[in-house]
Amino acid sequence: MLSYTIRRAGGMLISIFLVISVTFILMHSVPGNPASVLLGPNATPQQVESLKESWGLDRPIWLQYYKYVTNVLRGDFGKSIYFQKPVLRIIFQRAETSVFLGLMSLLVVVGIGIPGGALASIKPNSWLDNLMLLLALAGASIPSFWLGLMLMNFFAGTLHLFPSSGFTSVIETGNILNLKNLVLPSIALGFVNAALVARAARSSMLDVLRKDYVNTARAKGLNERTVIIKHSLRNAAIPITTIVSFTFAKMVSAAVVTENVFALPGIGSLVVQAILKRDYPVIQGVMLVVAILYVLINYLTDITYGYLDPRIRYG
Amino acid sequence: MGFFKFVLRRKMVLVAFLMLIMVLLVTALAPVIAPYDPGKLNVPDRLESPGSSHPFGTDHFGRDVLSRVIFGARITLLLGLSISIFAVVFGVPIGVISGYFDPVGMVAMRIVDAAMAFPAIMMALALMTILGGRGVVNVIIAVGIVWAPRMVRTVYSSTLSIKEETYVESARAVGASSGRILARHIVVNLLSPVIVQATFTFAFSIMEVAALNFLGVGIPPFIPSWGGMMSEARNYILVAPWMIGFPGLFLALSVLSFNIIGDAFRDRLDPKLRTEQLA
Repeated sequence: MLSYTIRRAGGMLISIFLVISVTFILMHSVPGNPASVLLGPNATPQQVESLKESWGLDRPIWLQYYKYVTNVLRGDFGKSIYFQKPVLRIIFQRAETSVFLGLMSLLVVVGIGIPGGALASIKPNSWLDNLMLLLALAGASIPSFWLGLMLMNFFAGTLHLFPSSGFTSVIETGNILNLKNLVLPSIALGFVNAALVARAARSSMLDVLRKDYVNTARAKGLNERTVIIKHSLRNAAIPITTIVSFTFAKMVSAAVVTENVFALPGIGSLVVQAILKRDYPVIQGVMLVVAILYVLINYLTDITYGYLDPRIRYG
Repeated sequence: MGFFKFVLRRKMVLVAFLMLIMVLLVTALAPVIAPYDPGKLNVPDRLESPGSSHPFGTDHFGRDVLSRVIFGARITLLLGLSISIFAVVFGVPIGVISGYFDPVGMVAMRIVDAAMAFPAIMMALALMTILGGRGVVNVIIAVGIVWAPRMVRTVYSSTLSIKEETYVESARAVGASSGRILARHIVVNLLSPVIVQATFTFAFSIMEVAALNFLGVGIPPFIPSWGGMMSEARNYILVAPWMIGFPGLFLALSVLSFNIIGDAFRDRLDPKLRTEQLA
């Protein structure tokens, strides 16, 4: 397991390096001089000159690249033009909302998706199974921002069950009830994906339930619950893990819009704000952090495979 | 069995095709069937609920929602089609070459992986900024660049398996050049996976374009679009839910029919692809 973990880590580091390179190329494709672009239209020529010098923008491109990579590795993502604060600090301030939103949405996805799929697989073509199919199709087609607004209209506007927007830090205020503000957004984000996970769980379970060892388990008199949970679900877990991690990546993307809909002070709304203000250092920083996070999640998924299925470790 | 029969046999696919034909007709006939001018302001009739004179109601400027939904279908189709073409034009050659020549593939696939590590919407947002802001062409390029790597991925993996086929080997044995093998034996066999992926690209990209328009960074606001309509409707959600309901419904139905058609193509053209996951 250890050597597998290390081998995978090598691949992950290469990916992170490439992600940094893609960001560098993207930001250097902005028309005009990067220094004046990064500083915005109101910068003085002196400021432009000093940034050029400190970032080495007057030197050859490969030296600039080297400088950029070392800056990023030291955690120096530059300074926001609009907030006048280091980019990384702003991202950290906004991270809490997004992390809670992500975890709660994941809870919705896993909590509805896996049991739903497992139940559907036990009775294929039942009403539950058909309902799941219908929901999965709808889930792939309904924009999460639309669902979010509809939920807001009904649960916040009509029933007054949940607050319609905003979020105050749980860590700073110590008030766990603030998470109530994230219930509707995480349903909007999670629900459409839960059905997709349910479909994957269903087909993967159906596959496993036909296997000989499941017959053997039943034949030796184990009760159905043990057969389903211990013998089937664990073996069906690999494709499910894949789809859950794939879903998570999709949710990070959708969260950009959902945070905007519910006026949540997260990383997604930060990036939209930065784009409207042309705050390039923030755009660049957020993209980098999110992409690195994505690579890390993929890495953890790979490690989970290795844990779930020993054959993969030695493959 | 013809494709037509196959479609008729499966009710859901048939419904999806009918929906697609309806969208195409509405798009082509927009100026004829739209009851009002989609941009015409009529403030005295603002926020009117759906009724006989305005079947889908009116918006905050008194504009007819039905006419705007009809014209919104136009731009949605235009963008979805252009983005899919963009993804095919750039994705297929890069994918084929990466799949056929191993060293190119090793490098190209790592770059594709890195590009796909950025969430689609964030990448599109950043590209919109780099391209200089709102505009129809910018949206096509930005969302096209986001989806092209996914096309490269599909074409790459299909090329890898096609080039191991016996007929490619025999072509090589009789002395066919790489160019001839690529053109005559590989590219023609890529048709089905490319069509399938292009259909999904269409479905995902119109959703993404709607999100960009919703965030106010997509096409210019004077062109009626479903995402833009929903964005404007946000402030009136409690008083005029029809303003957001109808464009959202039509967006969801269009994406749904493309997803169903994509699935059907996949099942029909190549049963082996069925196990591969979306995206």
